[in-house]
Amino acid sequence: MEDYLPFVISGLGLGAVYALSGVGLVVLYRSSGVLNFAFGAIGAIGAYVAWSMLEADWPQGLAWCAAIVTSMLLSLAYGRLLAPRLSHRDPTIRSIATLGFALVVVGFTEWYWGEQPRRLVLPTDAGAIDFVLGEVDVRLTHTRALGLALAVLMMGGVGLLLSKTRVGLKMRALANDRDLSALLGIRVLGVDTVAWVLSGAFAGVCGLLLANIVRLQATLLTFLVIPAFAAAIIGRLHSLPATVAGGIAIGVLEALAITVPGFAAFRTATPFLIALAMIVFYRTGTRQA
Amino acid sequence: MQEVLPASLAEASRRARISLAVMVGSVLLIGLVVPWLANAYWIKTLTSSLALSIAAAGVALLYGQLGLVSLCQYALLGAGGWIALRAGHGLGWPFELSVLAGGLLSCVVGMLAGLPALRLKGLYLALVTMMMAGGFQVVINVTGFPDGGAGWLGRVFGSERLMMPRPALALSDAAYFRYVAVWLAVVLVLIELHRRTRAGRSWALIRRGEAAAVAAGVNILRYQTWAFGLAGFCAGVAGALLAGGVGQLDGRAFTAGDSVMLFALTVVGGVYHWAGALIAGLLLRAVPALLTDFGVNGYLAMIFFGLALLHALITAPSGIAGQLAGLIESVRKRLPGAGKDAAS
Amino acid sequence: MKKIQKKIALTFAVGAVGIAGAGGAWAQSGPDCGLNTGKPATGEPIPIGAVVGKTGPDDFSASGQAAAAYFKCVNANGGINGRPVDYIVVDDQWNPETAAQVASKLVKDRKVVALAGSTSFVECGANAKMYADEGVMVIAGTGVPRECFNARNYVPVNAGPRVSATIAAMYAAQKYKAKKMVCIIPNIPSLGNWACEGPKEWGKKNGVEVETIAIDPGSADATSTMLQAAAKKPDTIIMNVPKGILVPMLAAAEQQNIGKKIRFVSAAPAYNADVPKAIGPYWKGNFDVNLEFNPLESAGPDNRNWLAVMDKYGAKSDPRDTFSQAGYLAARIVTQALLKMDPKKIDRASVTDALRKVSDFRSDILCKPFYVGNGARHNANNSGPVASPDGNGWRFAPGGCLTADDPELVDIRADEQKMGLK
Repeated sequence: MEDYLPFVISGLGLGAVYALSGVGLVVLYRSSGVLNFAFGAIGAIGAYVAWSMLEADWPQGLAWCAAIVTSMLLSLAYGRLLAPRLSHRDPTIRSIATLGFALVVVGFTEWYWGEQPRRLVLPTDAGAIDFVLGEVDVRLTHTRALGLALAVLMMGGVGLLLSKTRVGLKMRALANDRDLSALLGIRVLGVDTVAWVLSGAFAGVCGLLLANIVRLQATLLTFLVIPAFAAAIIGRLHSLPATVAGGIAIGVLEALAITVPGFAAFRTATPFLIALAMIVFYRTGTRQA
Repeated sequence: MQEVLPASLAEASRRARISLAVMVGSVLLIGLVVPWLANAYWIKTLTSSLALSIAAAGVALLYGQLGLVSLCQYALLGAGGWIALRAGHGLGWPFELSVLAGGLLSCVVGMLAGLPALRLKGLYLALVTMMMAGGFQVVINVTGFPDGGAGWLGRVFGSERLMMPRPALALSDAAYFRYVAVWLAVVLVLIELHRRTRAGRSWALIRRGEAAAVAAGVNILRYQTWAFGLAGFCAGVAGALLAGGVGQLDGRAFTAGDSVMLFALTVVGGVYHWAGALIAGLLLRAVPALLTDFGVNGYLAMIFFGLALLHALITAPSGIAGQLAGLIESVRKRLPGAGKDAAS
Repeated sequence: MKKIQKKIALTFAVGAVGIAGAGGAWAQSGPDCGLNTGKPATGEPIPIGAVVGKTGPDDFSASGQAAAAYFKCVNANGGINGRPVDYIVVDDQWNPETAAQVASKLVKDRKVVALAGSTSFVECGANAKMYADEGVMVIAGTGVPRECFNARNYVPVNAGPRVSATIAAMYAAQKYKAKKMVCIIPNIPSLGNWACEGPKEWGKKNGVEVETIAIDPGSADATSTMLQAAAKKPDTIIMNVPKGILVPMLAAAEQQNIGKKIRFVSAAPAYNADVPKAIGPYWKGNFDVNLEFNPLESAGPDNRNWLAVMDKYGAKSDPRDTFSQAGYLAARIVTQALLKMDPKKIDRASVTDALRKVSDFRSDILCKPFYVGNGARHNANNSGPVASPDGNGWRFAPGGCLTADDPELVDIRADEQKMGLK
């Protein structure tokens, strides 16, 4: 048990961010039918903006707000200007289009900020929760604990939004049948805006946390969206609690995999293997996505 | 697609034969002419372009004919390349046999990857195939590609890495370019023959809906899996030819993102026309090479690519090839001979 | 009275010599490149190329920029006996396929007589055979994977991650009496199974146990790796990773307070102006880095010349880092070799011959004289000093350059003996 505890704890931090990213992806999918490949890129540029502001000695709170606002604005820009032009195409094409947007954002971020070792330090890094078991001493920084708390809170919050509010009802209607909803008088653009802005806010928060927990490097942060998709798959692109549980499980199992001698070199494949296993063993009839 | 409707079946089959001849002729003409015009840099680049066009043809088959999205075709390309390299270095097989072995393995793996397609559709299938591509990325990063060594993985240690031995009649870069063009023509004909026979009709019915297909007596399992197998074969052959062209493959160049880009650019090239595969290959290799040649910063090139992708997806549902075909059609309609065709 | 007169006379003499010396320095106030004639070269250009990894996980283009600046200086000072250098740099975008294409462009289309200042993670493996087949020599700025140090026609000016990690391990054993070490390396083929073997094999001969942990450079989880390393209870952890991965790994180690009981050392990639600030004050006094060249701020004349060349002929945005030093040295080596040749007989074969004959190239940027030779592989630079972060800068360990005692260098040592070098 002693051997595994450190990795369970270290996996929780990363798992929390996979969970948060997964929730952000599923929320947008449930309300607009689009899988957002640009989720990681939008979050990354927010993190770079925060880094630049912190380097220039602006206050912490302002830097975080700037990061989240940047992500929200970019997400809004895409959702209002580009996404409506593709609304009549099939969902896969609409998702692939977000890949184009991701390339633009990543290209700009790398070009503007250049490649230099950077670290995004958050004040919550200073404190940590200590887990001591025998000789083993492992710490869960407050940032990662915050990530976990946020994942659960957001899941609850968004769940409530979708099920108990009018906006949530409209978002669900739009995802179900866009044309019919428009006929029924739901303001399509308005509801879409809410969905994209919400997703952008998630992306900004995830970007800050991932930049701190993983690495402040635009291309890597962008393609971390692929393991986040694994969490979304575990939630069957629908259930938020399952997405959160899946994300945390992926993180913990990926960390634990380091203790398996032959598998340690392949442990970055853990999210993909778990997602595939879920598909194979947990089929609920024909899924029309 | 807008076409002037032929007046009789004979006319239709004549048209079909002509278009097949045009396709094969164009590809072979490209193979013949380009090495005279291009320098060493461009011959190498365009060889890779043609090889990737083969893979794009497979992607276009799955999406254009069946509406199925496979985001793991580049991983299958890598798998085919791996087998070809292993066969070429370790077993000393003739080049064609290595290519076919690569194609065969990717065909089988493609069929396995296609099994979820029987239950999943659309975006879900896309996600599942992307997960497979992600898994392949991790594995190939660890194992790398064979480069002349012994052992299961075929990796060399302690001496120079070997290049894949090329076929005897295609040793120079120019000759190899022509060789790849021939392979491209063969694969395009293979796909086109499928489209025109029972397989193509079955695919069209499956695309309309499973109920329609079953009612018409189509064995969905067989034809859908066969489509995946054929697409896998295309990817495997492309991987083997790419390995022969560059001489070696590197495990870091087979990410899940590459599979997604392959799909995206195939859609931009056009999935309903064979020229779309050619355009996709150019977009994947020739356009970035052009930007590099002009010294454009790699990240600015990435921005340009993203914008081009967005623009193409928004304005051209049947891709660039579709727009070109439409253009050619509208020019033909204005020609004096067009009226006669419609009347007879 | 006589004594005072003597003193005054002496003072005047010294003063006069001083002024004359200063005047002499003033007359040659530009940087020192090539023939130093001050007149631009106007003959037939000599094409020289370079392949750098610019677009990708890191930007290595500084070595190409430094070599370009040096060649510009040479061209403004009489060129190569009257002929200017036409220096062409291409970006391989960290993609081996692209590396093969752009190298083809340089070697087959532009017909370069040599390459100088290349720095790429991927091009050695992709192109070494082509360079050998075409008979063209590459005096590279910096090489990283094994293939760069195991090719007949590829000559890196730097020491390489294996040698650098070995020196770091030797330093840790010497200073901290470390007996057990863990070496962390990315699992890229021909790096992951090679670069940590240096410390390991050195350790076997010297009673130090060294274990290797190979990490996935794209992994998002640095904490688990650091916990795994710490669980092996080493005295020292040797970081042999690029600086982009080093910073988050040290951050993870800091969060787990691993630096409290375990010493950290690193190979050369950590020596960079941005690293001390990025890793923070936790690592002051507990992080030692081996350098492949002498420090960036050293006062030696060649180091000063490098900075002067960059100031006068380079762009302000060109980094002045170790890649830049390497590119400058590579360009200087090639220039010196070319200047010894007959300008009318400069072609690829004669240049390759001349470069193989490079044998006692001295610079205060390097710890020992550099050479090329006829060997099957090249690793002439195999010693370096050690530095440690201090606030926002670096502090240098006393003791100067340490030479690597890596058992794999035995063939290099044999070549050195044959060439009659110390």
